[in-house]
Amino acid sequence: MMTALDIFLRLAAWLLLAPLLPGLINKVKAWVAGRRGPPVLQLYFDLAKLWRKGVVLSTAVSPAHIIGPAVAWIAILAAALLLPVGPAGAALSFRGDALLFVYLLAFARFSIALAALDTGSAFEGMGVAREVSYAVLAEAAIITALLTLCVQSGSVSLATMLAPAAGAGAALLAAGLFGVLLAENCRVPFDDPNTHLELTMVHEAMVLDHSGPPLAAILHGAALKLLLFAVLLTEAVLPLGKLSLLQAIGALGAAVLVIAVAVGLVESLLARLAFRRVPLLLTTAFLFCLFALLVAWKGATP
Amino acid sequence: MTPGWLLLIAGGGLVAGIFSAFKSPRVWLAATLAGAGAGFSVAVWMLAGGATWDWRPGFILGVEELHLQLDGVGAFFLILLSILGGAATLYSSEYWSDKNHPASAPPGRAWWNGMLLNMGFVLLCANGLHFLIVWEIFTVCAYFLVTRERQRRAARAAGWLYLAASHVAMIFLFAFFALLAARTGSWELGPMRDHPGLAPLFWLALVGFGIKAGIFPLHIWLPSAHANAPSHVSAIMSGMAIKMGIYGLVRFTGWLPVPDSAGWVVAALGVVSAVLGVAFALGQHDLKRLLAYHSVENIGIILIGLGFAMIAAAHGNAAWGQLALAGALLHVWNHGLFKALLFLGSGSILHATGTREMSRLGGLWRAMPWTASLFALGATAIAGLPPLNGFVSEWLVYLGLFDAVSAHGTAAFAAIFAAVALGITGALALTCFVKVCGVVFLGLPRTEIAAHVHECGWRMRLPMLALGAACAAIGLAPVLFWPALATAAAAWQPALINANALPSAPLVTLGAFHLALAALAVLAAAFLWQRVRQNGVSRAGTWDCGYAAPTPRMQYTAGSFAGIITGWFDWILRPQRHAHLPKGNFPAHADFAEHTPETVLEKVVEPAGALVLRASLAVRHLQHGRVQSYVFYLLLGLAALAILAVMGGAK
Repeated sequence: MMTALDIFLRLAAWLLLAPLLPGLINKVKAWVAGRRGPPVLQLYFDLAKLWRKGVVLSTAVSPAHIIGPAVAWIAILAAALLLPVGPAGAALSFRGDALLFVYLLAFARFSIALAALDTGSAFEGMGVAREVSYAVLAEAAIITALLTLCVQSGSVSLATMLAPAAGAGAALLAAGLFGVLLAENCRVPFDDPNTHLELTMVHEAMVLDHSGPPLAAILHGAALKLLLFAVLLTEAVLPLGKLSLLQAIGALGAAVLVIAVAVGLVESLLARLAFRRVPLLLTTAFLFCLFALLVAWKGATP
Repeated sequence: MTPGWLLLIAGGGLVAGIFSAFKSPRVWLAATLAGAGAGFSVAVWMLAGGATWDWRPGFILGVEELHLQLDGVGAFFLILLSILGGAATLYSSEYWSDKNHPASAPPGRAWWNGMLLNMGFVLLCANGLHFLIVWEIFTVCAYFLVTRERQRRAARAAGWLYLAASHVAMIFLFAFFALLAARTGSWELGPMRDHPGLAPLFWLALVGFGIKAGIFPLHIWLPSAHANAPSHVSAIMSGMAIKMGIYGLVRFTGWLPVPDSAGWVVAALGVVSAVLGVAFALGQHDLKRLLAYHSVENIGIILIGLGFAMIAAAHGNAAWGQLALAGALLHVWNHGLFKALLFLGSGSILHATGTREMSRLGGLWRAMPWTASLFALGATAIAGLPPLNGFVSEWLVYLGLFDAVSAHGTAAFAAIFAAVALGITGALALTCFVKVCGVVFLGLPRTEIAAHVHECGWRMRLPMLALGAACAAIGLAPVLFWPALATAAAAWQPALINANALPSAPLVTLGAFHLALAALAVLAAAFLWQRVRQNGVSRAGTWDCGYAAPTPRMQYTAGSFAGIITGWFDWILRPQRHAHLPKGNFPAHADFAEHTPETVLEKVVEPAGALVLRASLAVRHLQHGRVQSYVFYLLLGLAALAILAVMGGAK
């Protein structure tokens, strides 16, 4: 009974808080640009509206167009259940769950990609090709980050890996993971969520033909994924597992806020990279993680 | 009923199939399926009991005493052989029927049973000479299956290349078994780890079995043979025949001592095969050639696991090595199941459209919903995604690698490298199968042939359904298969590994998680579907950025989809591009074509072969028909012998 309640509360928290993050980022961007900007809760309104709306389906699509977003949303949610929250641990924790976490996000990517290719549009094809190609480098970086945490903690379980501080390599690991966060969540400088030119988009080009409730599932899933990465980054660097629950939640909230501001600032101050440079930046993120791994290795060997 | 009798039924069924292949396809089907069923039951029996069946009837067959043996490792591979053999047999009864192929189907059935029978014997033989004989027979049977469509030049070339490569492998295996027999004084096979002098023979086995398994630089025969064989043959070759190479490596690394560097070399070859196999797969436009390159990738994943198991065995038997071994063995099953499923699926596409060229297809899901959904299931499994079986085995290998890293031992650095390579391989495989499913099944038909297709019949659908169910079963309830894995791992090196004390992996939790994930995904999809229907659906054409007259030819093709990644691998893929760029103010004609060659074959093996031929031609000048010169050669030869005799200090 307690477990069920625990899982329910966690799910509610993840689901309800996730759409806040894009709102915060947009607010920061508006603030830097000197605009008033949309309300912080804009995504909640959008989701509620989309959920009630009818759907325009392309004549080309198969059931995968609707199944894909649903499966992807579930996969991201399942990944959220594996991520620990400070000393409270994860809803479900076992040896090897770190790898399941990575592969669940890959499964979400796979489902969305198929749902997008379903429309037979060249734009969706373009977006999917870019998304899955860049994800190869991001995956290398995130596996390296997990190896770093594994070297530090001697464990393959997220709850144990994320409890202590990152040690000497913290700054490197944070830089690497921040790069992965930006790439995986389609933010500037890898992708521009605000662009209006389909030729230059990655993630947004994938969902051009989605509308109504499936689009709501995609947008909510994307917000949840952003929150997941922000929490992962925070916990990889700060020793939240060693604090009391209240302190940990406070620190986590503050850190996620800092990350949101950072993403907003990056987005305001940088332009999107040319596509041929994206792999270079992702390789840099991978190298940051690799150096963090070497530092952790040096620290762990007596 | 003892294991021996069951094996007799299995062999008898297959032999009866050979005799009925020409006269009665129905009797052939029944006999072969019965044989596969008996093989399956005996393998399950041996794995469940953990005992070894050993049979020496005491009669001499070709100067050696017959000795058959079925232990955990053999039974582990025999299960896969029985399942794939049974499934592909049923499939071929419709796919390669007498009606469609009156001339080639009946002998094809006979060769088919011959191949299955002899692969079974390879798993049973405990005598080196007999092992070589049945290995050769199964290889030759496979040649006749690959060249079922002899009228096509590509099929003949593929068969020829396969035969040549297989016999290069055969030379190495001859050397391996002959030297083994010479050093031990007997052709008998069995555990002989206490003869350290046998260690160098491992390199011969690695090349011989490696060519069969399709390890990266030795894989040259594999893509064209798998692509040009009939699809049920591709399924058994990719699912089982290349696993016979893995069987050989597992068997003889378990029975014989190996050099110190063996584990490192196997793991390194695994990393190379995994990453480059999938990179080449991304460059392919031919569906079956693409699947063939994925075999190279998955063999790489298996070798990473096996290599680290060997490293661990050489360095104090660390527990992580046993996890890696369990992952590698489970991946043998998994790859067999999903790759056979994918090849059978590609067969039903070929059956319906007559083309393997992906960029001529598209939108097939409408006419072929069964094939499309089962192919998508296989694609999810091969991309190593939860909740299916591919993830479980890769996860076990990962656990072994991560444990090796946190153990800080000699293998830690190699394990870091291998884990990152495995991650990259997984993401690349995902990309490749998004490409395949998207280009072939989704979107709109790109050509007329893709617009008029039909679903395959139930005898082709049922085997795919069974293989898909097996993939799902291993993914959703992996713990049920753990005892079989433990038995096989313990049979690898019984002195080292205890089946009851294998390091545990939380497979129960993982299985429960997978089950919940699958159930919730189905629920969420149904719920969203319901919501969409309730809100109302209106239909329109795909929004092409306002373009007024979109055509299906504007869709992304296989080549354009993979372009980014094949660009990263240009250095090894060496794609050939032919472009006519649009010129002038009113360009009339423009085209672009890209083709990925068989780099290793065309850039390394063929030039080397040409060099040998040129050298041979030069030597041929010695042979010219002038008697005077021949007499001179004779004198020279005699003189050389005389000098040798004198220099040798004849006593």
